[in-house]
Amino acid sequence: MTATEPLPGAQGRTAAEEGKSLREIAESAGLKQVGGRPPLGAYLRDLWERRHFAVTLARSSAYSQNQGSYLGQLWNILNPLINAAVYLAIFGYVLKTDRGIENYIAFLVIGVFFFQFTTRSMTVGSKAITGNAGLVNSLQFPRALLPLSVVLTELIMMLPAVLVLLVLVPMTGEPFQWWWLMLPFVVLLQWVFATGMAFALARMVVEVRDIANLIPFVTRALMYFSGVFFSISSYAGSGILGSVLAYQPIALYIELARTCLMVESQPSLGLWLGGIGWAVGALVVGFLFFWRAEEKYGRG
Amino acid sequence: MAEQTEPVTATAAPVAAPAVAATSAEEAKATGRPILVVDDVHLKYKTYGGKRRTPGSRLPSWAKGLTQGVGAVDVVHAVKGVSFVAHHGESIGLIGHNGSGKSTLLRAVAGAMPVSSGAIYTDGVASLLGVSGALIKNLSGERNIILGCLALGLKPSEVKQHFEEVVEFADIGEFVRLPMEAYSSGMGARLRFAISTAASPDILMIDEALATGDASFKARSQKRIDEIRERAGTVLLVSHSMGTIKETCDRVLWLDSGVLRADGQPDEVIEAYMETQRAKVEAAKK
Repeated sequence: MTATEPLPGAQGRTAAEEGKSLREIAESAGLKQVGGRPPLGAYLRDLWERRHFAVTLARSSAYSQNQGSYLGQLWNILNPLINAAVYLAIFGYVLKTDRGIENYIAFLVIGVFFFQFTTRSMTVGSKAITGNAGLVNSLQFPRALLPLSVVLTELIMMLPAVLVLLVLVPMTGEPFQWWWLMLPFVVLLQWVFATGMAFALARMVVEVRDIANLIPFVTRALMYFSGVFFSISSYAGSGILGSVLAYQPIALYIELARTCLMVESQPSLGLWLGGIGWAVGALVVGFLFFWRAEEKYGRG
Repeated sequence: MAEQTEPVTATAAPVAAPAVAATSAEEAKATGRPILVVDDVHLKYKTYGGKRRTPGSRLPSWAKGLTQGVGAVDVVHAVKGVSFVAHHGESIGLIGHNGSGKSTLLRAVAGAMPVSSGAIYTDGVASLLGVSGALIKNLSGERNIILGCLALGLKPSEVKQHFEEVVEFADIGEFVRLPMEAYSSGMGARLRFAISTAASPDILMIDEALATGDASFKARSQKRIDEIRERAGTVLLVSHSMGTIKETCDRVLWLDSGVLRADGQPDEVIEAYMETQRAKVEAAKK
């Protein structure tokens, strides 16, 4: 054998290494410590280098989610359509929560689609680490790729819904307006915001798994607080309560999307600044919060 | 074996320090440069969903049944103070009973699991090949190859370059287009092996993954292992087959309940291990 003969009882030190501590041996050979948290700059670089992994994983899982059925990828379009129909039946015809809204169909459909993206991102984001134990346990990569990737999956799956919107909304009588062109930016901001949320939730669930059990309740409550199927200003007024409800991020992105597509909703600078602020804030805080526990995302 | 605190002898170091930054593989091999240092490592992990034990509780049995399922989180102390140095070109076998901490140790070396205390130092890319591992069941073999290679840090162009080679090595034919859940355990193992070694890891860790393969696969994987060692990489192999260990390894570590029991020549360590095994088998027969 060309390899050095290990000395029994010397932990495999060679003669040259005898008498040195293991740390000294490692350092003099230029070895790097495994695990631990890399500095922020190095971490970001590492993330960027492996971005293809996050994108490919996102695309593959978006594709595979609809593959277990006869209609396959057609469900990407059918799902949002059926969803919108169900909500319309309940809130438009049974509960009649359309007070103060002229084009209720467009209002509701936009609300449902944008709201679903946020809540689905929260749900999958919270399980980004714990639900991918197979990958986490066997490969070393910056863990932030996982929350990034699962939210990207949701974004990919939302795109057909946006296309459905662009066909459906004109059918309800909305004329084309230049604000339509701003819709991609609303989607972008909402995606950034959702990614920040996913980072934060992913870490929280790693630390305390029980939090994942609470998320369905949170999303359900958010649905009633976010003006998905009713106009916040018509029901909560424009006082403090109304403003708080209107400027909380989830309602805000829905409203921004409505101002782009519907004539009756007026865009405002405040809304856009709020949207940008929430997105950047959530991403920065969420990412830092996630990165600070990087060394913990193994097993347990 | 455990808890040696090395006296830091700053005085008289007559032995020459190992050559710094040996560049070529040959040089690295010749100088026996360390590639992996495990320094007094302890590993603990949490498991969920067990039953909580509350010895001495005076609750009635129906109440015990209720409380047992709450807060049932166990901490398993799987590895307790293991230290060793591995050098370029070495092939090391890890033996021990089920639950002795072998797989957990490999996971930590791969960076897939945090250490509770101590430190692990490596040089280059460590790749772990487990029985149940890595890959995503509901995606096709093709997708898994691409994802696995990307996760190991290959660039998309390199993935394309290696793709055919991986498919060929895995020898799964048309199955490459089917989701991995349709694979037999042997096919899954072959594909994982092919992916893990595609990135030419410096440290390859194999956790029982050779057990499921047939003879031709074993021969091919043996060849891969030799290639890695030729390039001055190191192979860590967990196996319950002493034959495989003897064929592949030139050094054996014996882990016993998380503690390193022996570290040395394969024949000697395996002999000592088998001795205790025989005693256990005898006891079981009685």
